[in-house]
Amino acid sequence: MRIVIAEDTALLREGLAGLLEDAGHSVVARVGDAESLLAVVAEHEPDLAVVDVRMPPTYDDEGMKAAAEIRRIHPQTAVLVLSQHVEARHAVDLVGSGGGFGYLLKDRVLDVDSFLDAAQRVCDGGTALDPEVVKHLIAPASADDPLAALTPREREVLGLMAEGRSNASIARELWLTERTVETHVSSILGKLDLAPSEDGHRRVLAVLAYLRAAPTS
Amino acid sequence: MLARIAKPDKTSKDVGMRWLRIAASLVALATAACVALFPLEAANLLERPHDWPVPMYPFIAIAALTTATVGLLIALRRPQNWVAWILLVSALTFALLSQGLFLGREWATHFDDATWPVLYAGPIALAYVFPNGRLLSRRWRWVAAVAVVSFVGFVAVALSDPSPTAYTDNTVKNPIAHNAVGEWLIHNHLSWIWVPLWFGMLGSLFAGVLAIGLRVRRSTGTERLQTLWLAWAAALFPITLVACGLSGFVIASFLDYAVAPALLLGWAAAAIAVGIAVTKYRLYAIERLINRTVVYTIVTLLLAGTFIGITLGLGVLLGRGSSWVTAAATLTVAIAFRPLRARVQARVDRRFDRARFEAVQQVRTFEEDVREDRRAPEDIGQVLAQALRDPEAELLFWLPASEVYATVTGGEAVLPRDRRAKTPVLRDGNRTAVLLHEPALLERRALLDSVLGAAGLSIEIARLRVEVRRQLAEVEGSRRRIVEAGYEERRRLERDLHDGAQQRLVTLGIVLRRLQRSLPREAGMLSPAFDSAVDEVAAAVSDLRTIAAGVRPPRLDDGLAAALRDLAQSAPLHVDVEAPVERVAPSVEAAAYFVACEALTNAVKHAEASKVALRAVRNNGTLLVSVSDDGVGGAVARRGSGLAGLRDRVAAHGGVLEITSPAGHGTRIEVALPCES
Repeated sequence: MRIVIAEDTALLREGLAGLLEDAGHSVVARVGDAESLLAVVAEHEPDLAVVDVRMPPTYDDEGMKAAAEIRRIHPQTAVLVLSQHVEARHAVDLVGSGGGFGYLLKDRVLDVDSFLDAAQRVCDGGTALDPEVVKHLIAPASADDPLAALTPREREVLGLMAEGRSNASIARELWLTERTVETHVSSILGKLDLAPSEDGHRRVLAVLAYLRAAPTS
Repeated sequence: MLARIAKPDKTSKDVGMRWLRIAASLVALATAACVALFPLEAANLLERPHDWPVPMYPFIAIAALTTATVGLLIALRRPQNWVAWILLVSALTFALLSQGLFLGREWATHFDDATWPVLYAGPIALAYVFPNGRLLSRRWRWVAAVAVVSFVGFVAVALSDPSPTAYTDNTVKNPIAHNAVGEWLIHNHLSWIWVPLWFGMLGSLFAGVLAIGLRVRRSTGTERLQTLWLAWAAALFPITLVACGLSGFVIASFLDYAVAPALLLGWAAAAIAVGIAVTKYRLYAIERLINRTVVYTIVTLLLAGTFIGITLGLGVLLGRGSSWVTAAATLTVAIAFRPLRARVQARVDRRFDRARFEAVQQVRTFEEDVREDRRAPEDIGQVLAQALRDPEAELLFWLPASEVYATVTGGEAVLPRDRRAKTPVLRDGNRTAVLLHEPALLERRALLDSVLGAAGLSIEIARLRVEVRRQLAEVEGSRRRIVEAGYEERRRLERDLHDGAQQRLVTLGIVLRRLQRSLPREAGMLSPAFDSAVDEVAAAVSDLRTIAAGVRPPRLDDGLAAALRDLAQSAPLHVDVEAPVERVAPSVEAAAYFVACEALTNAVKHAEASKVALRAVRNNGTLLVSVSDDGVGGAVARRGSGLAGLRDRVAAHGGVLEITSPAGHGTRIEVALPCES
């Protein structure tokens, strides 16, 4: 993968670049703010942009805005946004708007394999949504919420689905067979009244659309 | 409608004004020309139209010239003011009718007999429109119309009188003894027509008096003073008449023509008064002048009465013409003068300075109302404006602590640089306020001083209240600022934790991971140690995130609803959340969040509750937050407790907090926070 990194803390930026280069990817540009990020993306048209949410000048959500901009102007460049805390304002919207987007807490980087896995998934047009965000989404809002009808195991599987994982990945994570996972998935879709889909990303979209609608209902 | 000639177009208006000024100058010049003929007539170089004695001429000249001069002066400054034209036309009429060069003896006598109402028409017209050149109201148009019809009609009927000779001098022949109008009137038995017209003129005279009276009562400030000048001059007419009559009686040789010169001088005085009023009403203190006129008139009347009484009384005893009688009467009058004047002066002051009396009375009534709680002391400014009849009057309170002036609402005020005079209000020698008022009021120092003196206590009370309110507002403002600064500080701290410490820990973790991955295969035994080190780092990052969220939940950036939902999810019991999606000011959202947080903590820690309902609704500029649980109840906001802190926090935002917590029936905490839309 050809990657650009936007992160204002120099040490962390170099660490991230090292980590990705160690894994055999090529980091074509490293920048410290959103404006330069857009410039280098336009210049290099990389496969993936790893973007910090808070960057100069206001340290608010420049990274998030730049990510949306990249997805709009350069659809071939996937974006993985890294944040210090769950900042759900745009995350779910961006993930739900199409593939090639990921949102993770920064310390997920420390679990190197699953971080690289998420990066690869996003780059391949899939999604990666942080478990912490998913946890907020799948908590039932009230007793009559259909989510409350799910078994704890099903809720676990739903969470991993929302993260963007494939059945195989879910099976690996939960130490189950893929068949068992498939059974859980069709049961969940049935309980939430969602259409079954073979396409992994469309499945995520359906689940996210459902979850996103839930909190405001 | 001279006042209406003015067109909006500026140039044509200027041109119109210039022509009016030229016309006024010509009228004044014509008057002067007529007056210039008087010496020739007096010296018999010209035919004398009237058999007036020579000493009459100076009086006519004075009356005509002063009136014309004043009229011209006003016309030059304000060509559109009716007052100027009334004066100019009256002056020209005097002068024209008093000379014989143009008219000849017969016409002059005839006009003199027929046009005497003109002498009254001028003052009446003045009374109607003085000082602003406009009638009092629309209804007064009818009154003015009646006056015009009466005067014009009467003069017309008198002019057409076909009597063969003039009634004042039957040796003079009527120049129009045979005219169609007069003969037609007689033929149709309509010669009585002058009677209603005469009553119309009389009515107009009374209407003029009424007009002045109404104006004095209704007007304020400058206009009032201007009207008073005319009222003073108008009052001179009857006074001079009475004085003439008395002097004639006393001196016992009645001067044939004493009344006419007095009337003419009265005219001159009226003209001068009008001039002063219109151009420079502040030249003399008019109220003082009125006061003195009244005093000396009464003193003169009393002394004359005494003199006559003594003369008659002693005359019976000692015989008429005795010089002893005259001497005794004169002595008595001379001795009585000073004490009598002082007495009369005091009486008049008491009786006739009604304005002052009423003004002070108004302030006293207000003070009584304040005491009975019917009005607020802060109304004193309005009351002063009413009492002084000055709608522009304004009271600014002096706040010695902050060394500024303040309005009654507590807003800081700078002394304005306008035309209003500034009179300081003192109490025990200390400044308490300043009154901004019409400068003309300075001429009535006595009124001003007594009103401000009477209002002293009310002003002081109002000032203290304004000061306290201002200080309270300042304290409330600073409390709010401190709390808001607290929120800002929390926000900064949260940022520092996330962007500082947390970043460094993540960086450290990455460094460890890279080290771990670059280890040679034979050092694989070290890998578990690296794993646990990185786990520690990850745990530290997670801890920091929790701490930062406690300092200020970053979810607040997404709005109160998002933050409250997060809060509910992290709570160890079931929480129902109902919150608005719309945003309010960040500091209000933060306050509402911490209220909910503290209340929720209370419910978890002390209430043994199983369920909590969290509600936030916005209602007309107020954010209402309520937290109810089904726990044991009996919660009180003790000093130093979380609930007491909550109450302070809410108060700092200008809000209120209410706790309903009956023992055994749960606790309900309700908070209302003001939030601007």
